[in-house]
Amino acid sequence: MDKGPFKNKIFTSLVGAVIFMFFFSFMLVPLYNVFCEVTGLNGKIYGPSDFFKKSNETYERQVNVRFLSTVSGSAPVTFYPSSANIEVLTDKVSKTTYVATNNTNKKLTLSIVPSVSPGLAAENIKKIQCFCFSEQTLEPYETQEWPIRFYVDSELTDNVNNVYLSYTLFEKEREEVLVANHEH
Amino acid sequence: MSAVVENHDHHDDHHGPRKGFMRWLTTTNHKDIGTLYLWFAFAAFLLGGAFAMGIRAELFEPGLQLMDPIRYNQLVTMHGLIMIFGGVMPAFVGLANWLIPLQIGAPDMAMPRMNNLSFWLLPVAFGILLSTAFMEGGMPGFGWTFYAPLSTNYPNIAYFVFAIHIMGASSIMGSINVVVTIMNMRAPGMTLMKMPLFVWSWLITAYLLIAVMPVLAGAVTMLLMDAYFGTSFFDAAGGGDPVLFQHVFWFFGHPEVYIMILPAFGITSHIISTFSRKPLFGHSSMVYAMVSIAVLSFVVWAHHMFTVGMPLVAELFFMWATMLIAIPTGVKVFNWCATIFKGSITYETPMLFSIAFVVLFTIGGFSGLMLAITPADFQYHDTYFVVAHFHYVLVPGAVFSIMAAVYYWLPKWTGNMYDERMGRMHFWLSFIGVNITFFPQHFVGLAGMPRRYADYALQFAEWNAVSSVGAFLFGLSQLLFLYIVVKTVFVGKKATPQVWDGADGLEWTVDSPAPYHTFDTPPKLNG
Repeated sequence: MDKGPFKNKIFTSLVGAVIFMFFFSFMLVPLYNVFCEVTGLNGKIYGPSDFFKKSNETYERQVNVRFLSTVSGSAPVTFYPSSANIEVLTDKVSKTTYVATNNTNKKLTLSIVPSVSPGLAAENIKKIQCFCFSEQTLEPYETQEWPIRFYVDSELTDNVNNVYLSYTLFEKEREEVLVANHEH
Repeated sequence: MSAVVENHDHHDDHHGPRKGFMRWLTTTNHKDIGTLYLWFAFAAFLLGGAFAMGIRAELFEPGLQLMDPIRYNQLVTMHGLIMIFGGVMPAFVGLANWLIPLQIGAPDMAMPRMNNLSFWLLPVAFGILLSTAFMEGGMPGFGWTFYAPLSTNYPNIAYFVFAIHIMGASSIMGSINVVVTIMNMRAPGMTLMKMPLFVWSWLITAYLLIAVMPVLAGAVTMLLMDAYFGTSFFDAAGGGDPVLFQHVFWFFGHPEVYIMILPAFGITSHIISTFSRKPLFGHSSMVYAMVSIAVLSFVVWAHHMFTVGMPLVAELFFMWATMLIAIPTGVKVFNWCATIFKGSITYETPMLFSIAFVVLFTIGGFSGLMLAITPADFQYHDTYFVVAHFHYVLVPGAVFSIMAAVYYWLPKWTGNMYDERMGRMHFWLSFIGVNITFFPQHFVGLAGMPRRYADYALQFAEWNAVSSVGAFLFGLSQLLFLYIVVKTVFVGKKATPQVWDGADGLEWTVDSPAPYHTFDTPPKLNG
């Protein structure tokens, strides 16, 4: 033992294993995201799709797309879809909107996170335009209508006839009001 | 230490322990450190048990009687954390410290100073964790699994994170010490396959700890960064994913489950063989079974989270992989039964605890198989059936094996025989108490009673009352255990070096109590 523990091969390699596993736990984050993106699991949608459709599709069918909205925590926003569900034909671009109202006298910055159920349909929902691609801001007491343009591609598996598009709204930032009307 | 017969040459470094508190603070002796770990674990067991008594008192009848739901959640969380990280794991590390050098014929652990550090980090970690009880915001109340983003929004999360970091560092150092000791310091002639099974079980456990404790450290670090540094690993608002937390946590969590049971397999193998007066049936198959269980533990984690919305193929994979674990576990149970078969059996306290271990752990294993069936799990998920399952594998599983080990090796540690009559009484009270507590939880779970609530629907009242009565019985009978152990330390029939006539192994070749320094020269193995 007079050599010191780092002369011991087993000790050194075990310490190496500990350090590796610590960083491996952080590597799980990108690995997980890549895995979900490649397989389309977990209902995640990443960014806009190109508006282009491969041609020779044999048939088109009707799919019922339902819209859900959730306001996370205590964000002071009213947020709902303007229509609860629409029937769409596969490969045809449809448009709908969500309505959001700021219920405060402060400017709000919001982020909206999408999710698709069933998860396996996520890669077949192609969004051309979505308010979820970037942060949104609402002036005090402002109401905005946010558009989505999307299509359901015809590679959607046959046994899925209902697709749920869910949006969860999070408050990111609230503008601090300056002391103008501060009463005491 | 005057009673110790020193039959070796005297060198300057052969000395007895220091006197008083400094002996324990500065000790590098594996026996002292093992003792410290075991007493620490016992204290944690009583504290975690007190929390459990609080939980069962609240659940004795429907409605809120003793505490509000926030306090209840804090008790549930702290009960889990204290029992796992303060009770079961340190108890096994304590046994490892005492027994591994004795069983492989080594003079001490390979890195005695690190050994001291890894023990003394534990009181620090638990001091930090328990200090939250006296703070505004209180103790963590998000469950021992600390699912994000629930936990990141809790007060005092930083204390929890640092406590986990420190106890993780303690476990990692302890494990490295175990592996290096076993790999380098075995008596000449002791090949890996000749190693006693407790040593084998700890070698595998130590590798599991080295692989997954850093992942736990990573998970809590991400939690800390989410809570204080503005990252969004697990927060959907910033593009993170709460399901990712569950994957990272259970990638640690499932091997952790086996960390808490593998040493129990080793202990049970020794005790059953001793009191059946037969060599263990299938020594090498036991080793292969433990290695298979350890390897499989890395590919089954998602069975804890079947209901998060995984694709069918993943659910099938994790279901089959989980069921596969029943095979090596079945091999072990078979071998224990085959060892008992046609043995000359006597029923001393350690044997009683070990037989109860085999039976009750197997019941826990069967309910585990039921939970592994994905479609059934959608029904059982987060009900008391799960609570009954993991308490069956942890209390009459891990905890009974620790009690068996204490009774089995206590004469070697103290030089005194424990009171056999009281030991048996402790066993029967514990055995009856544990079954009254946890068996009815299967029923209320299957009937749909959810976990982690301070209150429940009226139809569950009778079984919950029964369960609480059992818990008080089990809890109180552990005071008897404390009394028996303390009494044995001071008085009792003097133990012979052999202690048990069927016992086999190097630890039985040294005096009882084991001298402060043993195996200064490596022993010769016969056969």
